[in-house]
Amino acid sequence: MLLENPNSSLMETPSLEEDAVHTSPSDSGESAPIIDIEGVDFHYGKSKALSDITLAIPEKQVTAFIGPSGCGKSTLLRCLNRMNDLIEGAQISKGVIRILGTDIYDPTVDPIELRKHVGMVFQKSNPFPKTIYDNVAYGLRVGGLTDKHGLDEIVERSLRSAALWDETKDRLKDNAMGLSGGQQQRLCIARAIAVQPKIILMDEPCSALDPIATMRIEKLISELKSDYTIVIVTHNMQQASRVSDRTALFYLGELVEEGTTEQIFQNPDKKETEDYISGRFG
Amino acid sequence: MNAPEPNPFTKKRDRIQILGLNRESMLKYFFGGNASLAIVVLSLICIFLAKEALQFFPSHHRGLQLYRLSGQEFVDYLEDESRQHKKAAGYLARAYYGEINASSKREQGLLVAYEELSERLERETSKEALLFNTTFENLLDLQFEIEDSESEEDGAESFDIEAAKAEVTALTTRLEERRRTLRERKTDALKDPGMRELDSPISLSETEFQNIAEAIITTDPDAEDDAPHIQELNRTIDDKKAAAEAEYQDLFTQLEAFRAAGRPLDELIGPLRDHARTTKERAVAAETLRKGKEALLAGAENARDPERRAEFLADAEAIELEEVPYDELNQIFYDNIDAHHAVTSQMMRDLEQLGSQVVASGQTTIAQTNLSRFREELPELLTMLGETNDKLKAWRHDTPFPFLPSVLAFFTGKDWVTNSSWHDFYGFLPLFTGSILISLIALIVTVPFSVGAAIYVNQIAGWREQNLIKPVVEFIQAIPSIVLGFFGIAVLGTTLREVSQLEWLAWVPGFPMQERLNVLNAGLLLAFMAIPTVFTLAEDALNNVPRSFTEGSLALGATKVQTILRIVVPGALSGIIAAILLGFGRIIGETMVVLLVAGGSISLPDFSEGIGVITQPVHTMTGIIAQETGEVDQGSIHYRALFLLGMVLFSISLLINYSAQKIVFKYQLAR
Ligand SMILES: Nc1ncnc2c1ncn2[C@@H]1O[C@H](COP(=O)(O)OP(=O)(O)OP(=O)(O)O)[C@@H](O)[C@H]1O
Ligand SMILES: [Mg+2]
Repeated sequence: MLLENPNSSLMETPSLEEDAVHTSPSDSGESAPIIDIEGVDFHYGKSKALSDITLAIPEKQVTAFIGPSGCGKSTLLRCLNRMNDLIEGAQISKGVIRILGTDIYDPTVDPIELRKHVGMVFQKSNPFPKTIYDNVAYGLRVGGLTDKHGLDEIVERSLRSAALWDETKDRLKDNAMGLSGGQQQRLCIARAIAVQPKIILMDEPCSALDPIATMRIEKLISELKSDYTIVIVTHNMQQASRVSDRTALFYLGELVEEGTTEQIFQNPDKKETEDYISGRFG
Repeated sequence: MNAPEPNPFTKKRDRIQILGLNRESMLKYFFGGNASLAIVVLSLICIFLAKEALQFFPSHHRGLQLYRLSGQEFVDYLEDESRQHKKAAGYLARAYYGEINASSKREQGLLVAYEELSERLERETSKEALLFNTTFENLLDLQFEIEDSESEEDGAESFDIEAAKAEVTALTTRLEERRRTLRERKTDALKDPGMRELDSPISLSETEFQNIAEAIITTDPDAEDDAPHIQELNRTIDDKKAAAEAEYQDLFTQLEAFRAAGRPLDELIGPLRDHARTTKERAVAAETLRKGKEALLAGAENARDPERRAEFLADAEAIELEEVPYDELNQIFYDNIDAHHAVTSQMMRDLEQLGSQVVASGQTTIAQTNLSRFREELPELLTMLGETNDKLKAWRHDTPFPFLPSVLAFFTGKDWVTNSSWHDFYGFLPLFTGSILISLIALIVTVPFSVGAAIYVNQIAGWREQNLIKPVVEFIQAIPSIVLGFFGIAVLGTTLREVSQLEWLAWVPGFPMQERLNVLNAGLLLAFMAIPTVFTLAEDALNNVPRSFTEGSLALGATKVQTILRIVVPGALSGIIAAILLGFGRIIGETMVVLLVAGGSISLPDFSEGIGVITQPVHTMTGIIAQETGEVDQGSIHYRALFLLGMVLFSISLLINYSAQKIVFKYQLAR
């Protein structure tokens, strides 16, 4: 199981792709949602962190999660690639999450395989204490790819996509810890896209960066949108309005309102949304 | 009152002040004082150790000089030859007796079984045997008294012979009764199936067992001879041995001739050795006097009181120094070089001839191995005999012993011989080898266990298991080492030896073990002691790997095992290496366990067995210090040699700690 050929079917049965064909009961008019969250309750032990979340995230768009601190944005995000499995006592107590039509909490789903499809970029950049090259190649190598030329090619393409190639092409064998904070975060993005996921989750990717580095990442996100579905958590309203197509506002573990970014920012349905966006909240 | 305007940043005065110090500076000095005290103590220890230890080298040098001056060096060249000859002869003898004993192996095994079984039965039937013996002794006493009174002509007054004779009859009946009971009891005990499980090397067939059982049952405590079966066994053994002796007559003659060939050399050595020893004693006595005189003169120089100075001077005057006439005394050695040449040339001729006669291979494995060893030793002996004479010709008692080689003689010396009537040798190698061998075994066992356990506990185990394993492993540290040593002697040693005697393990090098206390035993115990140290530190190192690394790896689709092997362990590697080094430091410095369990043999282990060397007994640097420090005179060369060992140990520990710190430091920078 460790060294599976990455080109073969990536998930244990049922395969994500196959299922996507015959389970897409979407009526949203646009394409079927790639992530479909239905009535999810989430508990950390006894304390409830999410209640009754229902949300559809469309493919190849940027969806922003916003909301005050502690409202459960990260929790929901980490549900999407099952990173919450690592926390003892944490579990979804109700509802289903489907990605490409497959219930990702089904016992037949292998979270390892799921995570190859759903990449993640963390709030604090966390490159491994290895070379830049090895960082980007890591996901491929653990997936069983050992071919040197193939690796070279993918590493270069990923670094180019993450707009990091020009800065690093001469120092691929240097330790990644020597990069600046913004470069490190872009390296983490390159690392995530190297395994060619369908979805990239980003948890406040710019919170530790200066405005210029933030701009570069935002630009990068807009570019990546054509190939990937991106879910981003942010505290920065301008950032949400600049980069996202859709926005979801959370409060105390509940989804307050969700819609196109334009609509949420200009013409929200709910009073709370308007208050939060204009900064009059709490 | 025109005080200067206080600015807002003026220091507030502390109300509590002692010796002009306020509370804050007092605390500062207190902690600073503690730190400097530690440094001062450490430096004092270093200086003290170094002072005592380094004085060893001049004393050692002087000792070696006397060794040469008194001709002991000369004699030891000869002794080396004789020793090598005896070694070769020993192998030949073992080969011969191996063949002889093999002829009656079965019968000897039966005898061993007989003895073991009788011993067991004696324990089983001790009560019945006691009753039997009492009656038997009473009967003997009575018969003796009757005889006594019969021989005395007029003894009929006080002793009633008739009554006594009646008593004898009664006792005899009772004795027969008890004999029956005893035999019955023995027969019963023998029916226990456990009686058939013997420690003896051979397994008995049913008839053999029955014969032996029969012999045991019929041998009563009053029996004067062995049972016929046993007598027969002994006869068979004697016959077979005699037959074998006849068969191996040639080998025996060769063995005798081989031994005889060495006798002239030994006869030559005898008087020379005594002469050298006497010279050495004179030299040492003269040396002691000279030192005493020097000390008195120095005392006189330093004394302030003129009266005391006069006293010292008078005392010093009274000591008459003896000039030992070395040239004259050594003449005997030079005179004997030709005799030695004659002896060894003859010996070489004899041995060469004998060597070609001895059979190439034996019947039994014992004979075979010993014969092949003999063949290895013989050429060495011959070259030695050929070369020694030139060495003797080149030897001069008055060539000064150079200083540097005397230092090297410590570090490369293979003998540690103290309190000897001949010469004390201080060779560091056997002790160092012992310490290193034990540490290696301990490390080889410790590292996989403790690092594996640390990885398991830190990365895989749930909190319930963690809460069980961690305290248990750390609890091991609370076991006093003396208790562990005791365990090593009483339990581990015996168990290891029993395991090593299992037939299907005979292929393991060094098995079956000759000794219970050896490198392996000590190494295993030390490993047990070091596991908590390495485990705890390695676990800490693993814990220090940031969680974000693990999460990052898992988020990229790596499995748990991949994450551990590619991210966590490399991230903690320097910490783990530092943990192993500190464990090594703990192992090499440990004293009690090695003193008790390493076997205490101060000789260089025999590496010809390869890895089997770990089943040999050794001594260690720490062990020898603990064992000998109590009984040496302060300031003697032996005392200083022990200090030097201490300093070497200290340097090793220091080096280990330093490297561990270096590694940890590097590792912290990387993050
Ligand atoms: N590992 C955990 N164990 C227990 N409770 C947790 C854990 N992680 C988060 N929580 C709780 O769940 C709730 C939601 O946390 P979450 O981290 O999802 O909030 P957030 O919206 O991401 O906040 P922020 O914007 O500050 O990152 C909070 O009340 C938090 O205390
Ligand atoms: Mg968060």
